[in-house]
Amino acid sequence: MNQINPLQIGALLVVILAFLFFKLYGVKAELVEATANYKESEKLAVEVSSLKAVYANKKKIKNAINRILTQGSLQEASLDVKRDKKSIKISSKSIETKALNSLMGKILNGSYNVTTLKIKRLSETKASLEMEIQW
Amino acid sequence: MNFNRSSIALFLDPSSTAIMEYEKGEKFNVILSPSLYWVKKIALPVKSVREVKKLLESIFEDSLPEGHYSYTAYKSGDEFLVFAYEDKKILALLNAKGINTVDISSIYFAQNEFSSLEGALKINATQSMYLKDEVLVLAPSSWISESRELDLSSVALSKRTIKLQQFGHIVDNKSLYRVGAILVTLAIILMVEIFVASSKKDAIVELQDEVFSKYKLQSTMFQNRSTKSKYKNIHKTQTKLRQYISYFLTMKLKKMQKIILIEYKNRILYVTLRGAEKGQERSITSQLDSKGVKYKVSYSGENMKVEMKI
Repeated sequence: MNQINPLQIGALLVVILAFLFFKLYGVKAELVEATANYKESEKLAVEVSSLKAVYANKKKIKNAINRILTQGSLQEASLDVKRDKKSIKISSKSIETKALNSLMGKILNGSYNVTTLKIKRLSETKASLEMEIQW
Repeated sequence: MNFNRSSIALFLDPSSTAIMEYEKGEKFNVILSPSLYWVKKIALPVKSVREVKKLLESIFEDSLPEGHYSYTAYKSGDEFLVFAYEDKKILALLNAKGINTVDISSIYFAQNEFSSLEGALKINATQSMYLKDEVLVLAPSSWISESRELDLSSVALSKRTIKLQQFGHIVDNKSLYRVGAILVTLAIILMVEIFVASSKKDAIVELQDEVFSKYKLQSTMFQNRSTKSKYKNIHKTQTKLRQYISYFLTMKLKKMQKIILIEYKNRILYVTLRGAEKGQERSITSQLDSKGVKYKVSYSGENMKVEMKI
């Protein structure tokens, strides 16, 4: 017939409640952190995805540059094009300024990662060109 | 008072002077003397004991001395036997008799255990108990001509037991249950909250995983932040490069001034202009200044070299 002191039961309940409050606080903090992480991931994902689509899409960049190089105004320009895994190098020892304007207009108006560029004036109508675009 | 001991039961009476004898650790039952409780036999317009229990406090309201009472009731034919007793008083008596409550198996009312009593039984030196209108009452032994000695060995115990509230004087049951119910409800609410918050968190983590796989992100946020930073830098650099080149291509130059070289490497843009020797450069630098471009200028004969960090 031994009984437990109700004050002890009360104390136990209070301890359980304190534990539950503590646990709830922890879970809520985790929820806030998870929500913040999710929002950040979503924003980051969109940004990384759009930036990669512009500067790291090898196939898209290659095709776009090929289209530029095969356009009519550059057909007669003696361009030296070298392609490797990470970049494309376009050079010409002597290019008509009209063709150069056309080429640079398209490159600079597009989103390409131009890592090196050298345009040297040779005469009123001629220039030399060295350019590397990476992805 | 008699404190007769059987192998299964002891009779507890406050007026007894008998020495309590029992083996420590041995479980036994206790039968309460009529002097340790109040009993009434009443007819009530209710059917169940449960309904009667709700009325017990009011039934005894005006008939009990000041004290903290517990109540119970049993059905007796068409009527009810209702009891009131003081836990603290009984516990104090047990304690005074050297009885450890841990050793008590069950506690009974003499009313229930001697409901078929015939004649009278002596329960202490001066008092006897007998049935009057089916209620066990006490009377001085001197009033009763034939009173037998109490013998518990022939008593077949009923199932009508009570549990003494050892801490009833600290908190009454109602308050205890009320506070307990509030605390338990609060605990349940908290548990539900924890479950809901945890489920939400799991759902968000799942959504985050979906974002990672949809956008083919790298496994850690650190890597992804690094990738973003890398491409942001490229974007910033390329935007600035185009902006600076456009400043020179749209620059108003004097007739003899020509751009003869544009060179960009290692994030530095060099522009060389002919016909802009020292003293003639003002028209060019003022235009760069107005655009907020930071630059360095060097001269080589009639050529001016402008260096800008992209």
